[in-house]
Amino acid sequence: MKNLILLVSAFFLFVTISHGQKYFTKSGKINFDATSPASPEKIEGINRTATCVVDTKTGAIQFAVLMKGFAFERSLMEEHFNENYVESHKFPKAEFKGTITNNTAINYLSNGTYKVKVNGKLTIHGVTKDVETEGTMITQDGKINSSAEFKIPLADFDISIPGLVADKVAKTAKISIACQLEPLKN
Amino acid sequence: MNRRKIIFYVFFSLLVIIGAAGIYIYREYNRSHRDTAELKPNYTISATELLKEFEIDEKSSNNKYWDKVLKVDGIIKELIKDEKGFYSVILGDTASLSSVRCSIDSLHSNKAASLQKGNSVAIKGICTGFNADELLGSDVILVRSIITQKN
Repeated sequence: MKNLILLVSAFFLFVTISHGQKYFTKSGKINFDATSPASPEKIEGINRTATCVVDTKTGAIQFAVLMKGFAFERSLMEEHFNENYVESHKFPKAEFKGTITNNTAINYLSNGTYKVKVNGKLTIHGVTKDVETEGTMITQDGKINSSAEFKIPLADFDISIPGLVADKVAKTAKISIACQLEPLKN
Repeated sequence: MNRRKIIFYVFFSLLVIIGAAGIYIYREYNRSHRDTAELKPNYTISATELLKEFEIDEKSSNNKYWDKVLKVDGIIKELIKDEKGFYSVILGDTASLSSVRCSIDSLHSNKAASLQKGNSVAIKGICTGFNADELLGSDVILVRSIITQKN
């Protein structure tokens, strides 16, 4: 009887694994840093409400974030970011849809640290571009800590920096994402 | 009035104007966000009603609510405290995947600490929009939120 239960449990576990487990978060943290080396102050906005989903079977990874949720220390900087740079009233959401290209190398079921390569389509300010970068995934006790940094030339996404602040705002922004992903129960 | 007096008054007035402009620019540059506690809500609405409006017509709901101060009342579905001590209060119907997610302003974290799942609360915050997601459930997200009086 015990062997039968064990066998049936193993079967169900196998079925779950082979169907792939999705992991997600709705409180992913994204840092938008456009501080140029010549800038006297940090030009950085932090958003703590990003959603992220990873499909461990296919390696598909997606994240979405509402631009208005980026908090800057100075109110004026936040207003310029929203009204002039990313025009969040026109393009409220930024998204990334891509794949972890070395997904098969990751063993999601045991604790480990993995360097991952990610590529896909990033949409900001209504413009979609192919991007690729590297990141880290740390699987620990059934959760995944994932992080990656994208270097984004702002002009590629039609984000124009006014001449007045051109020496303060970097031409390439660093977008860092850090998520603690938990299994999605379905 | 002789010429010297005129020049003096013009020079002095210019100084005052430049001084005032300088002060204005300095204050505007360093302006920090207004505490949500001081802001009057543009709309008062229930969490379920707000979600319904966005689900029916995302575009016009966005035009209506985006970047506005909303006072949302509802039942706490989930209470989250992250590793940095930031609270999120999730309002909505437990039968639905969708929620109104409210990031609590760190200045007001202490009020969130005493809340519990199942409590009925009213939260005032800035609406950053609607994150439509079929898999995870679509959410309305409020930031710089505070717990407020229900009345």
